[in-house]
Amino acid sequence: MESSPGARGSAEPAIKRAFTELDRLLRGEVTQTASLRRGAIDVDPVRLSLVAIVLSMVYGACMGTFALFSARSASAMQVLASMIKVPALFFLTLLVTLPSLYVFNALVGSRLTVAAVVRLLVATLGVIVAVLASLGPIVAFFSVSTTSYPFILLFNVVIFGVSGTLGMLFLLQTLHRLTLARPRSTPDVPAQSPADPLSEPSGPLDRLDDRLLSRHVRTIFRIWMIVFALVGAQMGWVLRPFVGNPNLPFTWFRGRESNFFQAVFHTVLSLFS
Amino acid sequence: MNPLVALFRQADDVLRRGSSPARAQPRGWASSLGNSVLLILAFGMFYGGLMGTYGGVGGERIWQVVYSGVKVPLLLLATFVLSLPSFFVLNTLLGLRGDFARVVASLLATQAGLTVILASLAPVTAFWYVSGSGYQQAILFNGLMFAVASLSAQWLLRREYRPLIVRHPAHRWMLRTWIVIYVFVGIQMGWVLRPFIGNPRAPVQFFREDSWSNAYVVVLEMIWKVTTRTM
Repeated sequence: MESSPGARGSAEPAIKRAFTELDRLLRGEVTQTASLRRGAIDVDPVRLSLVAIVLSMVYGACMGTFALFSARSASAMQVLASMIKVPALFFLTLLVTLPSLYVFNALVGSRLTVAAVVRLLVATLGVIVAVLASLGPIVAFFSVSTTSYPFILLFNVVIFGVSGTLGMLFLLQTLHRLTLARPRSTPDVPAQSPADPLSEPSGPLDRLDDRLLSRHVRTIFRIWMIVFALVGAQMGWVLRPFVGNPNLPFTWFRGRESNFFQAVFHTVLSLFS
Repeated sequence: MNPLVALFRQADDVLRRGSSPARAQPRGWASSLGNSVLLILAFGMFYGGLMGTYGGVGGERIWQVVYSGVKVPLLLLATFVLSLPSFFVLNTLLGLRGDFARVVASLLATQAGLTVILASLAPVTAFWYVSGSGYQQAILFNGLMFAVASLSAQWLLRREYRPLIVRHPAHRWMLRTWIVIYVFVGIQMGWVLRPFIGNPRAPVQFFREDSWSNAYVVVLEMIWKVTTRTM
């Protein structure tokens, strides 16, 4: 599958091109240092979002299979509901956390444009859902063969944790590579010499240097990762149920009470009782 | 060539894969996969069938032999298929996609080796049965045979992975990750596919209807029960 995105004709179906895009991402072809010099990663956010939606629907279906065989309220509706909710979870969390990320990013004088930030985040999402969907068969298998609701809940939490961690590692690594890449305006200048102060606009807090991403920007992103995880966890709680308590009938949403972290704590306790 | 002789020769080849330079793989990737699957089916069915003879082979108990013969290769191959997608994505993320064809061939060859080792332990199991074993003990004994075969198959897996690790050290982590994923899924798969031996007092069924519960908890209880009863 060695092809650049624009090389194939439009005869190729859109979904196939979208998966090719994801494949390039996973193999690291879009985060090679050379292509990062332009200050952004070379992905098509629309295609990647399409793939992300499809793959998160696949995982949602796998999550929902637990309710297919539950003793009291066997329901195929949970499969459908989770197929809608998992993509919603990711995109809503991104929507909630993106504005503040961009504002702080611009404040510390990062050269990353809106488009670049969006591409970075969509690429990270692509990695997360790829790992998630690949673990989907295992989750589906355990879901149909286990009756222990606490076990399945915690299992899903762990799977999301693993996927999220790998996505964040990808983001950190990409940011690191972006700091190593030098901007195109000064291709052969060694790192120590200052860039022309008039060549690029900079924010009020920025020390002028010729690296693409300053230390501040990376700190902002690291904080964002934590915020994303926290918001994502609570968003998951708000959008629940994803798996479906076997003792309760199917509903689209449960009432607003408690929060994610308390719930996980109680679930761990109930696994041991 | 007599097909049975060919089968045994392939089994021998799998065990000796990579053990000396003269044993470098001359055949293509696809035929290597095909051979591995064939070995898993043949030797897995053999050991599975033997497992199922615990309750005797008269009357309807012969079906237990058939079911168990089907289940052992099914256990190995289903676990493999479930574990493969996530392993594929992890390998890709670490830049190991180019080696993946080789990796798949190695993993399947390891499973083929496992079934060959199991089949070689079949006489031991038969002897255990003939010596008059309780049902719970028979289960644990077979578990032990599977464990021995799996651990021995790691020998094979490590040998397969050695050239890969030389090429790219990240394979060492992938090897460990594979084992974790495979064992985790495999234990639950083994539980779901039970009975392999078949309680002699219970009717012969492909699946048990009762207790879709978590495998890990149940095995611990079983070990506890056996050890406290025999003390």
